[in-house]
Amino acid sequence: MQFIIGVIFFVVVIGVLDARLPWPRLRQKKDVR
Amino acid sequence: MAEITTEEGRAMIAGHFGFAALVKSRERQAPLWALMLATAWLDIVFVPLFAAGVETITIVGRPGGYGAGIIHADYTHSLVGAIALSVVFGLAFGWRWGSRTAIVLGLVSFSHWVLDLLVHRADMPLFPGHDLNQFRFGIGLWRYLWTAASLELLLVAMGAWLYWRAARAITLEDDKARQRARLVSLLILIGGIVVLGLDVSGFGG
Repeated sequence: MQFIIGVIFFVVVIGVLDARLPWPRLRQKKDVR
Repeated sequence: MAEITTEEGRAMIAGHFGFAALVKSRERQAPLWALMLATAWLDIVFVPLFAAGVETITIVGRPGGYGAGIIHADYTHSLVGAIALSVVFGLAFGWRWGSRTAIVLGLVSFSHWVLDLLVHRADMPLFPGHDLNQFRFGIGLWRYLWTAASLELLLVAMGAWLYWRAARAITLEDDKARQRARLVSLLILIGGIVVLGLDVSGFGG
């Protein structure tokens, strides 16, 4: 149970909050058309 | 030989997440959610295999107690299995985010095996199907409850602290972002302590 709670909390809750911080942008691979 | 049961033991959880936060402070371009997912990846795969009875736990201490199990997880926690799962995880993100992030995520995924190596009771084989009588990895810090718990607490504290230092550096000119960075750091620390506390106390099922 702790594992499932931990995954949801750290991945989803903390992950979403962290994503709103101005970290250096991740380089996305561009589509080659 | 102890009977193999399906009763759940309690393994390292908080320490893995603390390590992911620590990595975020060094690899700032990697999304924290992906690092958190990477550090738990081996156990995420373990859960359905455990539910299906493919991987099992033998209880050797207090049922449901912290580190009280010998974990027979030959697919997810063997050295070869962990490397394979980590490569898959890295590749799954690498096609989109590039090779550097793929390598970082793959290594964070494999860090799970390295940290488990410290605490597991010599139950991690070289590869799936490895003979039970042959050598298995695991230093066994779970035999010393407070040593293992202190190690996890240290990882959580270091992860939260280094994350805060890195987040503070990128939010110097934005008070609102800095408040959010402080909140995330505190949540890493408090969340880690709560999860570790539940783990060690045996509370919460």
